[in-house]
Amino acid sequence: MIPVRCFSCGNVISSVWDEYKKRIQTEDPGKVLDDLGVERYCCRRMLLTHVELVDLLAPYQ
Amino acid sequence: MDIDIIELSERKARFVLSGVSASFANALRRSTLAEVPVLAIDDVNIYDNTSVLFDEQLALRLGLIPLKANAKNYNYPEECSCGGLGCASCQVSLTLSAEGPKIVHAGDMVSTDPDVRPADSSIPIVELKEKHKVVVEAVARLGTGRKHSKWQAGVAGGYKNMPILIIGDCDTCGKCVEVCPRKILKLEGNRVKVTEIIECSLCKLCEKTCDMNAIKVSDDPESFVMTFETSGNITASELAIEAAGSIKKRAGQLVEILETLG
Ligand code: SF4
Ligand code: SF4
Ligand SMILES: [Zn+2]
Ligand SMILES: [Zn+2]
Repeated sequence: MIPVRCFSCGNVISSVWDEYKKRIQTEDPGKVLDDLGVERYCCRRMLLTHVELVDLLAPYQ
Repeated sequence: MDIDIIELSERKARFVLSGVSASFANALRRSTLAEVPVLAIDDVNIYDNTSVLFDEQLALRLGLIPLKANAKNYNYPEECSCGGLGCASCQVSLTLSAEGPKIVHAGDMVSTDPDVRPADSSIPIVELKEKHKVVVEAVARLGTGRKHSKWQAGVAGGYKNMPILIIGDCDTCGKCVEVCPRKILKLEGNRVKVTEIIECSLCKLCEKTCDMNAIKVSDDPESFVMTFETSGNITASELAIEAAGSIKKRAGQLVEILETLG
């Protein structure tokens, strides 16, 4: 799951995750982040570098 | 003391604070981080959790969700008339029950006080697959960032000294315009003009590049460009007011103590 807040500054970044994930299928991630108002690079890396593991772990639940 | 507001929205404030010392500006910044009370989930009763997240992780995620509320309606548990046992004026409970397959969002939580709700309903809490289930009751209490960062009202608060740029004799070579990372210098006729001085990062690259030594970059030691942001649990203007109020209150307490000594 995407962390709720940015590790560095503490701002909430997960609220744009669903939209971000959908839009990067067709758009440039950097532009999507600009558009969603994720300004600082600490917050941007949270979304850019996130790897979703839920699908991988779910069968072992 | 003088305040000049540059930008003020619900979650962000940017203003120039002048006529104060650096220690006062820093006190205000620290106060937004550690002294402004907000509500956050503090206790979680887990009745069922068969999701991919451990109970602890689920509780952590719930705690980090900013709750929008009027903090004035609530007491700190340790100062409440109930003596910290928990009553309607010091805590509020939020329940969440969901069954997969679905992504559970902060907006799915049901609060007992209609004035208390997650600031962003689109925060994903957990993704539930087929047959996964979560049933939890969360208790939110008032606190400050001093105790735990989930109660931190202000995020990414900071300030810099007000930049001062003095441009003297110049041969309009345009090198400084090229090199400025903030793109705030412009050639206009036979001189260089500064468009938005507030954006200057004080990097002094322009000063170093200029062969004529025409640019001098300095800063005003008594004037600050301050920026505050919140995560939605409180508005930016409330945050600034509460932070300043907390400094005033503590300064008053200090005076009282000093008077008893004198
Ligand atoms: S100090 Fe840096 S940011 Fe400021 S005007 Fe010069 S080059 Fe631009
Ligand atoms: S680098 Fe110096 S001389 Fe060249 S335009 Fe800028 S201020 Fe003028
Ligand atoms: Zn950040
Ligand atoms: Zn109480």
